[in-house]
Amino acid sequence: MEEFVKLKDITKVYHMGEVEIRAADNINFSIKKGEFVVIVGPSGAGKTTVLNILGGMDTATGGTLTVDGKDITAYDSRQLTGYRRDDIGFVFQFYNLIPNLTALENVELALQICKDPLDAKKVLEDVGLGDRLDNFPAQLSGGEQQRVSIARALAKNPKLLLCDEPTGALDYNTGKAILKLLQNMCRERGMTVIVITHNQALAPMADRLIHIKNGQVSHMETNENPMSIDEIEW
Amino acid sequence: MKKRALRKDFYMEIRRSLGRFLSIFFIVAIGCAFFSGIRASEPDMRYSGDAYFDNKNMMDLRIISTMGLTEDDVKAASKAEGIGHVEGRYSVDALLADGDNQIVVHVMSMLPTMNEIQLEDGRLPNKENECVVDVDYMEKSKLKIGDTITFSSGTDAEVTDSLKTDTFRITGTVSSPEYIAFQRGSTTIGNGSVRAFVYVQEESFAMDVYTEICIQAAGAKELTAFTSEYEDTVAKAKENIEKIKEQRQKARYTEIVDEANGKIAEAEAEVTDAQTKLENGKAEAAAKLADARQKLENAQAQIDSGKVQLENSKAEVAATEQTLAQKQTEVQNGTAALDQGIVQLNQQIEQLNAVKAQYEALKESGMTDEETLAALEQMSMQIQIGDAAVVEAQAQIDQTRAQLQYAQGQIDNGYAQLEAARQQIAGAEAGIISGEQEIASGWEEYYAGEAEANAEIAEGEQKIAEAQAELADAKAEVAELEKPKWYIYDRNDLPDYSGYGDNADRMKAIGEVFPVIFFLVAALISLTTMTRMVEEQRTQIGTLKALGYARHSIAGKYLGYAFLATLLGSAAGIFTGEKIFPYIIINAYGIMYKHMNELLIPYNVMYGIGAAGTALFCTLAATILACYKELREQAAQLMRPPTPKQGQRVVFEKITFLWKRLNFSWKASVRNLVRYKKRFFMTIFGIGGCMGLMIVGFGLKDSIFAVVDIQYGEIQRYDGTVIMAEGASEKEKGEVAQMLGKETEVDDAMEGILTQITIGNGSKWHDVYLDVPKDKKQFPEFVTLKERTTDRRYSLDEKEVVLTEKIAKELEVQAGDMITIRDEEKGDLKVKIKAVCENYMGHYLYMTADAYEAVYNEKPEYNAVFYKTVSGTTKEAQSVGEDILQLPGALSVSYTTDLKQQVDDMLGALDIVIVVLTISAGMLAFVVLYNLNNINITERKRELATLKVLGFYPNEVSAYVYRENIVLTVLGALFGVALGKILHRFIIVTVEIDTVMFGRNIDMSSFVYSFLLTVAFSMIVNGAMYFKLKKINMVESLKSVE
Repeated sequence: MEEFVKLKDITKVYHMGEVEIRAADNINFSIKKGEFVVIVGPSGAGKTTVLNILGGMDTATGGTLTVDGKDITAYDSRQLTGYRRDDIGFVFQFYNLIPNLTALENVELALQICKDPLDAKKVLEDVGLGDRLDNFPAQLSGGEQQRVSIARALAKNPKLLLCDEPTGALDYNTGKAILKLLQNMCRERGMTVIVITHNQALAPMADRLIHIKNGQVSHMETNENPMSIDEIEW
Repeated sequence: MKKRALRKDFYMEIRRSLGRFLSIFFIVAIGCAFFSGIRASEPDMRYSGDAYFDNKNMMDLRIISTMGLTEDDVKAASKAEGIGHVEGRYSVDALLADGDNQIVVHVMSMLPTMNEIQLEDGRLPNKENECVVDVDYMEKSKLKIGDTITFSSGTDAEVTDSLKTDTFRITGTVSSPEYIAFQRGSTTIGNGSVRAFVYVQEESFAMDVYTEICIQAAGAKELTAFTSEYEDTVAKAKENIEKIKEQRQKARYTEIVDEANGKIAEAEAEVTDAQTKLENGKAEAAAKLADARQKLENAQAQIDSGKVQLENSKAEVAATEQTLAQKQTEVQNGTAALDQGIVQLNQQIEQLNAVKAQYEALKESGMTDEETLAALEQMSMQIQIGDAAVVEAQAQIDQTRAQLQYAQGQIDNGYAQLEAARQQIAGAEAGIISGEQEIASGWEEYYAGEAEANAEIAEGEQKIAEAQAELADAKAEVAELEKPKWYIYDRNDLPDYSGYGDNADRMKAIGEVFPVIFFLVAALISLTTMTRMVEEQRTQIGTLKALGYARHSIAGKYLGYAFLATLLGSAAGIFTGEKIFPYIIINAYGIMYKHMNELLIPYNVMYGIGAAGTALFCTLAATILACYKELREQAAQLMRPPTPKQGQRVVFEKITFLWKRLNFSWKASVRNLVRYKKRFFMTIFGIGGCMGLMIVGFGLKDSIFAVVDIQYGEIQRYDGTVIMAEGASEKEKGEVAQMLGKETEVDDAMEGILTQITIGNGSKWHDVYLDVPKDKKQFPEFVTLKERTTDRRYSLDEKEVVLTEKIAKELEVQAGDMITIRDEEKGDLKVKIKAVCENYMGHYLYMTADAYEAVYNEKPEYNAVFYKTVSGTTKEAQSVGEDILQLPGALSVSYTTDLKQQVDDMLGALDIVIVVLTISAGMLAFVVLYNLNNINITERKRELATLKVLGFYPNEVSAYVYRENIVLTVLGALFGVALGKILHRFIIVTVEIDTVMFGRNIDMSSFVYSFLLTVAFSMIVNGAMYFKLKKINMVESLKSVE
């Protein structure tokens, strides 16, 4: 169960004309299966770069990423698509639901492409939207939309659930509820969840907390007794 | 500068969104090029045509008189008001034998300055017996420059009545501005249609009056032909000619009548003279005959008296002969008696001798007894008496003998005389016979002479009678002499001239419809593009608003953007389109009007301004519309992301069992289609337009081929037509029919009438072919009469006629109406139309022989034989034709394949139009689809990026987008079918030329091709989009909603 996800010397360099920007500079960390990981850091620290690489949306300039023993950095674009398809669940800051599909259909949309999906309706019920199945995204509140988004990610039964500022567009209470949902999912289903946020306040709820600053891991700590989200306030 | 930042932003905007700028630029350019180009083609055709006619110094008006035109007429015409130059010329229609074919040619004298002919090859004639010939005909004929051709008149008159010689040498080939396309006009000789024209020198004509006068209206040359200004000027000139017409007609009439009267007087004197001579001759002949008769009668009398004498002589001779015979008998009797006497005498002598012997014996016996002596005595006595008696008898006999001998001599003499008399009679008889013979031959001579004299007299009398009759006729003719009639024609009377103007009008009609589609599309594209642009820059607009910029300053950017793109686009479109389209189109028509070598394509400012103005209006209006919505909102509102559009359920979802079967991509696609209505309609319109244009293109081809295939495959099923020589005898005609019957290549042949007639509805008149089959039962084998829409068959009956569709439409008549046949001799004849039948080439009026008889009140005289060959090939038809033309009865043979060729020529021009349409359609499809797809993808970048993040493979992402495109393409194509059908019908009706009706059908294959091409265009665009989709960065999904 060691090192379910392992980043070794992950480097990402962008070239902006003459200037070379090191968005990620020798990032190293490992995550165990079933952990609730929070990656924090200020804007522009390289969180998103790490997320992109973790999610198979971008390739690293250097270093290796291993997920469940597979070397993702060696994947070509097609394999990467497969990786996103089968192994990754993604929760966006702005939910990114297909506006023309109902909540249920949005979830089913993701399910139709993966190997071993969960039941869409069940998952939606699990996230507390049992009575909003047939609503279009525009008819749902932000929190509800994010729940659909989470349901969409979860229903794929991924190895890794990546959440990019899942509460960024939500109000305090809704945000809390969403985080609670994520934490529960992690605990109840043993899902490895990685939440990326700039909100330091979320740190105590993580099993593992990774601080990123200037493209490098500045600090990583494990928390033997993570707090429930209900106990955290900010 | 106050708003420098804004201006900078404006230029930066163009640089950054060059693709968008160019898409407006191009769609406007295409729209304007098409709009102004196609429209400019119409005036450019007129300019080019005008330039050609001006260059050839073309006449504007033409006078033709039924009685010829004199120098005085020419002078009078040139003095009329509004008339420029006037020239007279001679012309005659003649038959020309080209190989076995006899064709009708129109022979004209070259005008000094007008209607310049264009020398294509060789040189112009400079001798009386030289000519130049129609280049179009020469190309098809075996004749070549340097060949000698011989004309015949085709009527009773000699061709040399009109021309000084009938044999000409071809010195060159020419084209004439009077014959700009394929038609050569009609004629009254041969098969009724002129095939070629021939120009000769004026000196080659033997006529003393002109046939026509060519006139140029003053100031008409400066105007553009085919325009109303020109038409008006010419119409005025025509009116002025009309004014002198009456007087000139009268003058010509008087001239002709005077001349005729003079001739009649002369002839009358001659007749009188002849009469006198005849009377004299009669008297003389009678005297001579009487004399001869007298002489003959005298001779007869002489002979008769000679005959009587001869008879008398003959009787005498006969009598003499009888007497002689009698005498001879007497002599013979006498001789016989003498002989008897001699015998008796001899007996007496013997008895005496016996007595003497007894006496001697007794005396010797010596018995001198008395008795003996007495006996002796007695015996001596007896002897003495006996001797004496013998002597006496002897004497008597001698005497008788002498007498007899004398008589015999006399008889012999008589016989000799008789013989002489007989000879005399024979001589006389011979004389009489020869005399009689002489008299007989004398009579013969007499009667012959008499007969001769009588014949001569009768002949003379007949001649005089004839001459008198002629004189009477001539007098009657003079009395009835129709007044000379002037016909004043403008250029529209020339074959194909008005057709050129019509073609220009057709271009105008096309130009009014087609470019509109492009414009609509251009406007819609601009609308979507600009709307998208404004929506994209929502936040920026909000910021500017928040900063305090006024609405118009903000809108100015977008308006300026659209204005600049449109202005540049329309300028580019107009400058290229106004050159390229007219060039292509006029060149395309050049196939038909191949000798019109002038090409004038000036810029038509009006059309340019019109096009640019419309384009500017469309795009600016679209931009204002797009801006208006955004600018109305509050700045704060604008800086927030727009409320997402509501997802909608569509009606389709109600059909649950189907909806359930759809996967989510399909569901999303269906909802998307309904959601983005603007895009939906635009794409359907764009693709439909593309499909429609291609259907029009292919459909035009189908319709044109229908002409050939249906006309010569289904309707007119014969392969050739033999036209009989005018005045061919029944026997000669029979030979033609017989020969056709014998040819193994001929499947069937039918006699009939085929001739050009004029029909009308009272106000409009048109030339059509009259087709009268001899055998109406055989007719359906050769011509199928049916209704186009329902395929219902018609048959001919005894009273009514069947008319072909195009002419019926042209004359605005239908089944059940009456039409008028204008006959030169019989005047206007009315017939009832039984039905209107499908027909594509030419115009025909069909009637049965019975109907013909009823209408014309005379038996039909068949002048044509239609024939079908076994295999229906050109080669067969021509080989049959060549054989037939050897016969004196056959004038000419025409082959349906020739007509096919003609159609192909005429319609070749349209091929290029079709290509232009198809290319334009492709361009239209491409621009529309690319633009819309582009917008679609840009708008939905986030959505697509999300799909990618969710792990959709590139082809799955593409499929998600393409699915909508496929649906739209199919729907667009369906719309295109409808649009195409409507446009096709419109175009077909507009581009038709007078004598041709195009098919109204579009083949299934055309729909298929158009669809496949549309799909192909759509696929090309989608292919291009694939890369664009691939380039979408997944990071987009992480961005906030703009």
